[in-house]
Amino acid sequence: MKIKTGNQNKRRFYDGILQALTYLSSGISVLVLVALFVFIFSRGWSSINMDLLTNNYWSENYNVEPVSEVADTTFERPADLSEEAYFSEKWGVAFVDHVNAHKEEMILVEYIDENSPLYAMSDVSIRSNPQDFTMQVGMQVSRLSYTNEQGDTQLAGIGGQTAQDVAQALDQATSVNSMFIQTTGGGIRGSIISTFYLLLVSLVIAIPVGVASAIYLNEYARKSKFNMMLRSGIETLTGVPSIVFGLMGVTVLFPVTQLFGATTTSILLGGLTMSIILLPTIIRSTEEALLVVPQHLRDASLSVGANQSQTIFKIVLPCAVPGILTGVLLGIGRVIGESAALIYTMGTFINDSPTLLSQGTSLAVQIWSIMSGEQPNYELACAISIIILFFVLILNFAVKIISKRFSKAWY
Amino acid sequence: MENVIFDVKNLNLFYGEKQALIDLNMQIEKNAITALIGPSGCGKSTFLRCLNRMNDLIDGCRVEGDIRMEGKDIYKGGWNVVDLRTHVGMVFQKPNPFPMSIYDNIAYGPRCQGIKDKKTLNQIVEQSLQRAALWEEVKDRLKDSAYGLSGGQQQRLCIARAIAMEPEVILMDEPTSALDPISTNKIEELATELKNDYTIVIVTHNMQQAARVSDYTAFFLLGEMVEFDKTSVIFQNPSDKRTEDYITGRFG
Repeated sequence: MKIKTGNQNKRRFYDGILQALTYLSSGISVLVLVALFVFIFSRGWSSINMDLLTNNYWSENYNVEPVSEVADTTFERPADLSEEAYFSEKWGVAFVDHVNAHKEEMILVEYIDENSPLYAMSDVSIRSNPQDFTMQVGMQVSRLSYTNEQGDTQLAGIGGQTAQDVAQALDQATSVNSMFIQTTGGGIRGSIISTFYLLLVSLVIAIPVGVASAIYLNEYARKSKFNMMLRSGIETLTGVPSIVFGLMGVTVLFPVTQLFGATTTSILLGGLTMSIILLPTIIRSTEEALLVVPQHLRDASLSVGANQSQTIFKIVLPCAVPGILTGVLLGIGRVIGESAALIYTMGTFINDSPTLLSQGTSLAVQIWSIMSGEQPNYELACAISIIILFFVLILNFAVKIISKRFSKAWY
Repeated sequence: MENVIFDVKNLNLFYGEKQALIDLNMQIEKNAITALIGPSGCGKSTFLRCLNRMNDLIDGCRVEGDIRMEGKDIYKGGWNVVDLRTHVGMVFQKPNPFPMSIYDNIAYGPRCQGIKDKKTLNQIVEQSLQRAALWEEVKDRLKDSAYGLSGGQQQRLCIARAIAMEPEVILMDEPTSALDPISTNKIEELATELKNDYTIVIVTHNMQQAARVSDYTAFFLLGEMVEFDKTSVIFQNPSDKRTEDYITGRFG
């Protein structure tokens, strides 16, 4: 029988097709990834600035009245004031037009002289209890009531008026009666803080518990039915959808947070729930890391009279740190990206000053919140996405550097 | 034999259903080198690992019979396992230093016993390395990683690590099988020197090695100890046909 029939063309053809298929498949995934990044960056990049990171989401409203009369002196326009700002020489204040992250047009204070009558004012939002108020750069002027030279009371800054209109109006005013001031909102400062709280709570619980269970399963546990069940139970947990964990969090863990004084769903509850979601991930990756630690190191340690816990904590665990960190990184990614379970357990109220026991939104839930409103705001959502990606990227690098340092101790 | 350290009586060992050691009886003399030879899978390493109970780590391993060290049974409560291992050190087939500095490798055992005093530790490290004939080579780089040493040096480091616990017995499980001839030679010389202070039990595949270094030799075959006698007797005038066949290279 002839074995080397020389049917090379057919073989080469199939070989080519297979290769092309694999190229294509890997190409598709890269393409999708690139498309995702292009979409997010093109929509969101323009909305990203420091204000987005540092501002509150909700604006605060002040109804203020000046406490001093306007003087006869005029103010100098500062040299470094931008061309777009409109300056009132009489009142020593400058305004600019601005469009915020929600695409609302507004008039912002660009400059305020410290001697201006509009600088130190009185907040009379609550008539019976006036508060001191200091005008700050960046505040939004949404209504200004003044008296002009004819003695008529006029309004400025409302309905489609620009910064120029307000500045001109002020120059004609003999006195300002009241102003309605808002701080610019639309920021994500609160959500960033909430996200960190959430990460803190979930990791502080999940890492020790997860690592300890992995140590038990891998180092102490002997082969038994009970341990096999334990192991397969943990594996099953990995596949449970997070929304189910969310339901469990509300019903089972809420009483736990009540012990700490929580009255509603809270960041603490979200963190507890997330820590349970993370457990299987951390247990699995720790177990894998422990498995790779060579048995001969354990033997060596035991043979010089170390007991098992000394062997585990002084030899095995340090060797497993890079693997454990990988698990932690996966966990962090999961916490930052989770929304379903958190909507139940942390609420969807965007909280500007979150505490452990108050409601709040993580960045991902804030995206959900923004997008589920009547007017979805793609730009802001994409901007937050970029920030999430940025966080994950930084964490990724940090973990890589740390694990490299630890694996250097290895070889 | 007057100075017996290990007294093994009717030792049977099972891995699950499989019997790995069958009715072993043996006495190991103090301050001598006892070599265990035999073909792969004959149970010599298994027997060695009984002597410091390293077999405990293997799931499904069951030991029957008596092993007495200095008169106290090591499996039935005469010795605490951790204590036993501080008295019976071990050197493994592959050099297996910890991923730490040379100093920390030696100091690991004493530290686990709760010794924290720096002076004492320094002294232990220096003495152990000197005894393992490694001090001159590494004294300037004690803080360097142990993985920077050559294979032979690593193995001597492992011996030093065992010595640091001041054991009575050092078990060596084919300590030179992963080393080149020069390193092997050094380890053999070292073993010969160490026998003044320690009892050494060595498993080896290399019959010349057994003939060179050991005082007693035991020949194992299929879980049984076929013959155990002075090395000179085993190699020159074995009483069992199977021993003779193995030594002369007719099988194994």
